[in-house]
Amino acid sequence: MDTTLDDGHEELGRIARQLFEARCPLATVRQLEQDDLGYLPALWEEMAGLDWLSLTYPEALGGSGGTLVDLSVIYQELGRSLVPSPHLASAVIAGEALVRDQSSRHHDLLASMVAGRAIVVPALMEEDAGFGPDAVNLPSRATPAGYEIDGTKILVPYAHVATRVLVAARSQAGPDGTTLFLVDPAADGVAITPMPNIADIPLFAVTFDSVVLSSEDVVGEIGQGWSLLGPALDRATVLRCAEIVGAGKQLLELSVEYALQRKQFGRPIGQFQAVQFLCTDIAIDTHLTELLCHQAAWRLDNGLPARREVSMAKAQASRAIQRIVHRAHEVHAGVAFMVETDVQLYTRRAKHWEFDLGDARYHDDMIAAGLEV
Amino acid sequence: MDFAFTAEENAFRQEVRAFLDAELPPDKAFNHEFNEDPDLWRFAFEFTRKVGARGWIGLTWPVEYGGLGRTQTERLILAEEFTARDAPMVNAIGWGLAAGALLVGGSEEQKKRFLPGIAAFDRFWAEGLTEPDSGSDLASLSTRAERDGDDWIVTGQKTYTTWGHHADVMFLAARTDPEAPPHHGISVFCLDLNAPGVSLAPLYNMAGGRQNHTYLDGVRVPGTMLIGEEGKGWSYIMNAFYAGGGAGARHAEMRLMLDEVINYCNTTTRGGVLLIKDPIVRSQLAELELMVETERLLSYESLSNATNRRPPQFGGALGVVVSKENKPLFAQTITKIVGPLAQLRQESRWAPFDGGAEAWYRWSYANHAGGTSQVKRMVLATRGLGLPR
Repeated sequence: MDTTLDDGHEELGRIARQLFEARCPLATVRQLEQDDLGYLPALWEEMAGLDWLSLTYPEALGGSGGTLVDLSVIYQELGRSLVPSPHLASAVIAGEALVRDQSSRHHDLLASMVAGRAIVVPALMEEDAGFGPDAVNLPSRATPAGYEIDGTKILVPYAHVATRVLVAARSQAGPDGTTLFLVDPAADGVAITPMPNIADIPLFAVTFDSVVLSSEDVVGEIGQGWSLLGPALDRATVLRCAEIVGAGKQLLELSVEYALQRKQFGRPIGQFQAVQFLCTDIAIDTHLTELLCHQAAWRLDNGLPARREVSMAKAQASRAIQRIVHRAHEVHAGVAFMVETDVQLYTRRAKHWEFDLGDARYHDDMIAAGLEV
Repeated sequence: MDFAFTAEENAFRQEVRAFLDAELPPDKAFNHEFNEDPDLWRFAFEFTRKVGARGWIGLTWPVEYGGLGRTQTERLILAEEFTARDAPMVNAIGWGLAAGALLVGGSEEQKKRFLPGIAAFDRFWAEGLTEPDSGSDLASLSTRAERDGDDWIVTGQKTYTTWGHHADVMFLAARTDPEAPPHHGISVFCLDLNAPGVSLAPLYNMAGGRQNHTYLDGVRVPGTMLIGEEGKGWSYIMNAFYAGGGAGARHAEMRLMLDEVINYCNTTTRGGVLLIKDPIVRSQLAELELMVETERLLSYESLSNATNRRPPQFGGALGVVVSKENKPLFAQTITKIVGPLAQLRQESRWAPFDGGAEAWYRWSYANHAGGTSQVKRMVLATRGLGLPR
């Protein structure tokens, strides 16, 4: 029993932190909010060079034998530095789904993704903003030529730079009944509309108007999409939690630093218990999220059932990050409301993270489902 | 990183379970802390002696002091299993605080004289730290121990003396040097509660248990009953818990309670809907599951730090804040799920799961034992986060 990261993890974390601080300081994060691309292609290539786009894939598919715990260490640093990147969408959700496809149909595409040349983004959520297999209702219709899909997907990240969009469609009723298709965003009938959002990150609505697809575009088997997507989303969920942990750690540092340096009534405000307790709230929420996140990652790495643990991590993380940014604002008070202060960069992204990959309510429900007899 | 127990550790867990299967009546609840039923206490004493005969009271202590020299992890497993079965292993002040203080600061002679007896449960120890004017600020305690030849004469008042009326001796903290700074003038003793000058007055708690005021009026304590060295009592008290092999298994107690609630929700219908299908109840159950899980992980984390000789993070105060704050919250959330019937005592035939919701809520305000969460938050803020005092 040892709940703590190994020395190798700590070293990986230091490397990631130095890289992100050098390539993507918060000044760059601010610029990217106004940028058409919204991410740093050079850093993306660099991450490909470090094998970070395929860290946990099987070696035969370009992986390098890394674990989800390793990747979660990198994600803590992505969260700490607020690095905007299509990594979660492409390398984790789409990539891990493609890796699980038993056919070799998409191995060339996967190789391009591993090399940093292709980006594939998942299109899951629909206009009713539900999450999970039951919320996939965009219909796919079998036609003599193949398949046709119609409908709209929302909150699709980085669709504007995607080589392919991985669309979850409903091909039949039933416990799964979903099918995954790879769709060229430049194909006839596909329209991409930006969705301006609080985090100022690239999110899009993607509309499919009788888009024609062939059996070559199917990922996995017809009607069994969730069997590929589910495990990929579990991994992504853990990593999103790790990102939240990294952001929490940074907000704790910023808040403690500010409480030490800011003087009112002739003393540092960090001497007031009311302020101290706000800081301890951040420490507790961040730390508990980290423990849950590590446990879930470790279980997935060891092939153990982790549905409950993944949902526990995200149910905690979604609530925790809201409480954390709230406390950070209370410590910093008026100055955190000012755009020039870094706290608000975290606040605005936290609202995206809270809902991404299932909100607390969704994961509460998953936890409760495991308690039903 | 490894969140699993080893095969040997799992085998020990099975051994503990087999012992409990053999020794515990299947249909009896104990919760000796809040119960004055003499039959239960008799059983608890017998049971604890059997645990001692097995060598498990001093599981982690060196063999030469009556221990078995086993690991902290096995101690945690023992605590988890005992807690999960509500097994009445009494004398926590003896095997936790007193033994811990002896292991931290006792002389070789003291360890050999006291520890084998504690490991066999020869005497029942009461707690003698808190005073009416020294609670959170324990280091301000004013009970005096003055030298008289080789002996000490003790005068003062202790309070919240849990188990005092069942106990033979008291683990006493008294001021031996009023001139020294508060933390350096305290010594700890083993005080005979049958000695002349000791009197107890009952103090009943809302959980249904008895604590006590303990009056010490010129009580003579032999010099041999000083534990460790004079003036170092404070550091022993601070380090005793883990040294004695104490392992927090509060999560196992929470699990026990929550499983009752889950069973209730799976079998109880309100307004034609099973409680477990109610979306609000589902969120409340998830919240309770998270409290149990995070406390379990915190317990494993402090175990990992102890076994790998790493200093605890956050000044060692984070887990204790969580646990103290969760305790009433946990009980309150259960009463919200159960609803109006949560006010019914065990004696009512309408009380769900034997009145658990009602009783646990009353018990939950025992969370201030060992210091308030606010004091622990101050430690977390200053020692853990580096904020100024």
